Amino acid sequence: MITVSSLLDAHWYERYKTISKLNIRSSIYDVTNRCNLRCKGCFFFSSGEHQVADEENDLAQWHQFIDREMARGVNLAILIGGEPTLCLDRVEAFYKKLPTFCATNGLIKVPRDRFPDLMVGISLWGDSADETVLRGKDTFKISSANYQGDPNAYYLYTITPKQLGKTEAIIAKIRDVGLKVHMQLLSNDEGVDGFSWQPDELVAVREEMDAMLDRYPETVISCKYYHEVITSGTMLGRRFGWMECPSVTEPLDRRQPQPKRLIGFIRWSSNLRAMHRCCTSETRDCATCKDGAAHMSWVMVNKRAHIKTAKDLQNWIEVYEMFAKLYRFIPW
Amino acid sequence: MSDKINETITRIAEIIINELKLEDVTAATFNPDLDLVDEVGVDSMDLATVALVLRDEFGIRIDEDDYPKLSTVRIIAQYILDKQSSGE
Repeated sequence: MITVSSLLDAHWYERYKTISKLNIRSSIYDVTNRCNLRCKGCFFFSSGEHQVADEENDLAQWHQFIDREMARGVNLAILIGGEPTLCLDRVEAFYKKLPTFCATNGLIKVPRDRFPDLMVGISLWGDSADETVLRGKDTFKISSANYQGDPNAYYLYTITPKQLGKTEAIIAKIRDVGLKVHMQLLSNDEGVDGFSWQPDELVAVREEMDAMLDRYPETVISCKYYHEVITSGTMLGRRFGWMECPSVTEPLDRRQPQPKRLIGFIRWSSNLRAMHRCCTSETRDCATCKDGAAHMSWVMVNKRAHIKTAKDLQNWIEVYEMFAKLYRFIPW
Repeated sequence: MSDKINETITRIAEIIINELKLEDVTAATFNPDLDLVDEVGVDSMDLATVALVLRDEFGIRIDEDDYPKLSTVRIIAQYILDKQSSGE
C-alpha cells in the first residue's frame, strides 16, 4: 500500500501534516438579495436566485441560525450576495462566532474598527474596459482606495477571454496597491458576446496564469495544478461535471453513485430556510462551469486519488494550501 | 482479550480496505498502528463511510466528535470494544 510518507520527503511531509487535519467544513450564505451593482454574468441575478426567497430581516433569527450552523459542524462561513456589505449587521453576526470570509465588490469599505481581521475577497472582472462592459463601472478605482495595503483583503480576479495578454497589467496594479490576488475564470452565464471560453483560449490562459504565478509569487495566491484543473476541466483523467462536483448542497444531493464531496456543505438563501442547488448558478451547465472554489474543492476532496505518485500528492498539497491560505486557515 | 482485539483489528482492516478500495494491502498486512489520516490519507468523508459500516457490523454508534481521535485501526478496535462492554 502506498503511504503518504513513502511519497514525500521531510519538507513535503511537514506541509502535508500541517493541512491534513484541518477538517474544514464550509457552507455558503446569501447575506442579502440586493446588490449595488448589476454585473452581466453574475449568476446570482442571471439565474433568478435573488428572487428565490425573501430576506430574513430579523437579526435575532440570523444569530439563532448561525448557532444551528455551528452545531452541525460548520467552521467556515463564506458570505456572498447580493452584496454582503449592504448588511453589515448580518456579516457581524457570522464574524463574531465563526471564521468568516466575505466576498464583496469593494465599493463599500468594511470598517476595520468593527471587523479588524475579517477576510475580504474583492471581485474584479478585468481591466477598466471589461469592468465597464460587464459591471457598468471600473470598480478597481474605488475598491483599491478602500482596501489599499489591507492585510486581510485580496482580489478575486475573474479572468475573461478578453483579458488574454492583459493579465499582467492587472496583477501589477494589484501588487502596487499592496494587495494579493487569486485568479479564477468567468463562466459567462449570460452569454455576453465574446466572453465564452474557446479551447485555444483556455490553453493560453493557463500559460498566462502560470507565468503570473512565476513572476509575482508574493502577490498571486495560486498554484499551477489549480490552473491545469480549472482550464482543462479535468483531474487525473476525470472530467468535471455534475457527477463529480463536490459542492452540491448536501440535503439536495441525490446523486448515485455519490461522488467525493464537501461534508455538510449547504448554500443557504437569505431567508435562512431555502437552499440553492450548489455553490453557483442552478442554471449553469456543470460541464462548462469554471467556478474556482468548486474546482479547488474537487481536488481537495479527492485526496486519496492523489496518493499515487509524489507529484500527484504534491499537487494536492499545493491546492489545499492555496484554499487554506485564501480562507486564513494558514498564513500567506 | 488479545484474541478479541486482534479479531476486531482484522475485521476493521477488512472493512477499511473494502470501503476505501485500498490497493496492494490485505487485512493481514495492514499495519494496525498506521496513522489513517497522516499515512493512508483518510478524510472525514471516508471516516463517515467507514463509521456507518462499523455501526452495522459491531452494533455501536460512532460519534462524529470522536473521529479525530480514531487515528489508527488499533485505536478504533479498542474504541469499539469499550463501547460494546459499556453497552453504549
